[in-house]
Amino acid sequence: MKIDTTLPARKYKLYATWKRDMETMNLPFPRDWSHTDFKLPQNWREIALKKMDEVVNKFRSVKLFLDICVKCGACTDKCPFFLGTLDPNNMPVARQDLFRSVYKRYFTLTGKIFRGLVGAEELTEETVELWYTYFYQCSQCRRCSVFCPYGIDTAEIMIAAREVLTAIGLSPRSLTEAIAKCETIGNHMGIPPAALLSAVEFAEEEIKEETGISIKVPINKKGAEVLYIPPSADFFGGPHWGTLKGVIKMFHQIGLDYTISTYASEGGNFGTWLGYEHMKKINRKIVEEARRLGVKWILGGECGHMWRVIHAFMDTMNGPLDFLEEPVSPITGTKFKHAASTKTVHICEFTADLIKNGKLKLNPDANNQYIVTYHDSCNPARVLGLIEEPRYILKNVCRNYVELDPNVNREKTICCCAGGGLLADETIELRLKAIRPKIEAIKRTGANFLACICAVDKAAFTEYAEHYKLPITVGGVHELVGNAIVLD
Amino acid sequence: MDVLLFIIGSITPYIAFFVLILGLIYRVARWLSIPVPIRFPVAPAPITYTGVLKRMSIDLFAFGSLIKGNKKLWLGGYAFHIALAVTLISHIINVYFHNLWEVIGYGWYEAVLYSGFFFLAALSFLLVRRIVLPNVRYISKISDYLILILLFAIVFLGVYMRSFGLVDVSSVSNYMYSLLTFNPIPPPSNIWFLTHYVLAQILFIYVPFSKVSHLIGWMLSTTRNMRNITRWRRHVNPWDYPVEVLTWEEYYEKFKDELESIGPGGERR
Repeated sequence: MKIDTTLPARKYKLYATWKRDMETMNLPFPRDWSHTDFKLPQNWREIALKKMDEVVNKFRSVKLFLDICVKCGACTDKCPFFLGTLDPNNMPVARQDLFRSVYKRYFTLTGKIFRGLVGAEELTEETVELWYTYFYQCSQCRRCSVFCPYGIDTAEIMIAAREVLTAIGLSPRSLTEAIAKCETIGNHMGIPPAALLSAVEFAEEEIKEETGISIKVPINKKGAEVLYIPPSADFFGGPHWGTLKGVIKMFHQIGLDYTISTYASEGGNFGTWLGYEHMKKINRKIVEEARRLGVKWILGGECGHMWRVIHAFMDTMNGPLDFLEEPVSPITGTKFKHAASTKTVHICEFTADLIKNGKLKLNPDANNQYIVTYHDSCNPARVLGLIEEPRYILKNVCRNYVELDPNVNREKTICCCAGGGLLADETIELRLKAIRPKIEAIKRTGANFLACICAVDKAAFTEYAEHYKLPITVGGVHELVGNAIVLD
Repeated sequence: MDVLLFIIGSITPYIAFFVLILGLIYRVARWLSIPVPIRFPVAPAPITYTGVLKRMSIDLFAFGSLIKGNKKLWLGGYAFHIALAVTLISHIINVYFHNLWEVIGYGWYEAVLYSGFFFLAALSFLLVRRIVLPNVRYISKISDYLILILLFAIVFLGVYMRSFGLVDVSSVSNYMYSLLTFNPIPPPSNIWFLTHYVLAQILFIYVPFSKVSHLIGWMLSTTRNMRNITRWRRHVNPWDYPVEVLTWEEYYEKFKDELESIGPGGERR
């Protein structure tokens, strides 16, 4: 495998957090700084090493993964950011090594004695610059982990490494801007309650125009059976809009007693990519809102990293959710036993169950203009293992469904390359390079509709399709469900 | 010479052995002392213990994850580990259960020599690959080459001794037995054997402090050994800490007018 040792990706850096957001979020060392001038605090090295010591002793996986990597190279050609740039520091193992070499130098016996011989290196300002650059060129998609003989997961090392960067006052605007909005307004997009109402009303009007059916979406309704949490992007329009409408139509057809919330109007969780504290904070509002509204259980919308948090972290960090009930579909009576503790069901699980039990009135011909292919998002595929449900739904709501190349599909999927905080204008050049193999795969299928179950996917692929002149519509699985729903 | 022979025959073998065992125990204890705050297996992951056992067995016995992405490396790595296993087992038989060959058949005893050649070929492949492939060379540290060279030297000396009958197996066996009883006799003062032997001791000492600790570490890999049941059974994080969030009451105060425009108390039914 060729590499380009001039480090061509080193120039792609996310922009610095605004001082005001750092203050809002109580981040360390609020100051005016930029991606080219870090203005590190005086004792940054001391702080960084202290934090490093803390994180490797907080996450067994991180210490283990730093210790046992044998540098076999199996992961080297699995990262889309490496494939797109040939920058060797984007090989998963080399990305980890930027962190590992410092860990070795200060926290292992061999590193302290043998130094460079075992790859141990001093922590310098240049190291920090490389950290900020390459740790934020990882979308934490976990593709490398699939192919690692020991399952070493760069994502988990990045979670720890970013905690260290945050501790010395380095975090990107692409994350903190959204997190600050979420923690003060209620969602990443910064949509206040009245605007959210307008969006919902607008969707209702459109549905009325299209079908003649009047629907009223419940908001902040106490005592509803189900709290529906979509990513806030769904209220925003664009490629997400069809999903919101589709879900509203579906809920109307089955007569679900549900509510959305303005307070917990964000399923997504950009805190995930910054660190434990802010992930927990953003997620906490969903739990508090479910408690306040007195719902029985929670239904989560089409969003990738939101589901990483709900599936893997929510119960642990904000549970137990014993004030809720074990989810039962009020329409089919199916008990969602796999969600017995978290009491949160994925919309695709819910819909697939409805279809399986024949409870949805569907006309798949409504999607006949589309040849549909499905993009596995990294989180549903590699955190939840939610691979069959969306496919089952798609095969039932449209007639022309095609699969992508198996090398970039299912658990081997190449992600949208925009997760992990990379969805920012300044990284577009990098992302376009990284996504290329996936775009080629989509092209080969001849599809004209790319179905996703993640808001970041939808936003990113819309951009990519435009750039690569790909004649394809990007939308949600539930947009197609919505098209096929027969309302009468 | 006698002093040196005494040291490498009667002292360092014990040091090497105990560093290996205690070092590995320390390593595992250290890993185990760190909590697993999150349940985060890489999906699709099994939901039963049997499933986990199956998943990890495939990884152990067939290098299942490796073969998915790199067939050549799989072949080289697998050949290397098989040869290593054969060599270790046949050494134990040779030294401590020599009569077992009569049961197994001396044909196998002969075959082990060929596994040594096989071992050298696999090691050469791994070493050449590390030097030749630019991506692997980039991630290789000096220690990554040294461990392969060390192994190569040990195996080469072993194969060389066997091929030319340079060492008397029964005298090695007697010596190794004497180590067990903590009453060591001097080792055969054969330069080939002694070099082979000292290098092996260095390897023993190196294992727990290096990446070779993956031989046990892989079992603790949380992305592989956990069940995908996080929504079903609550996983507890021992160092979890409380966070402050914007409460509904604060939120309501902040957006009172807007919320009331949605409906009384912000409710729309």
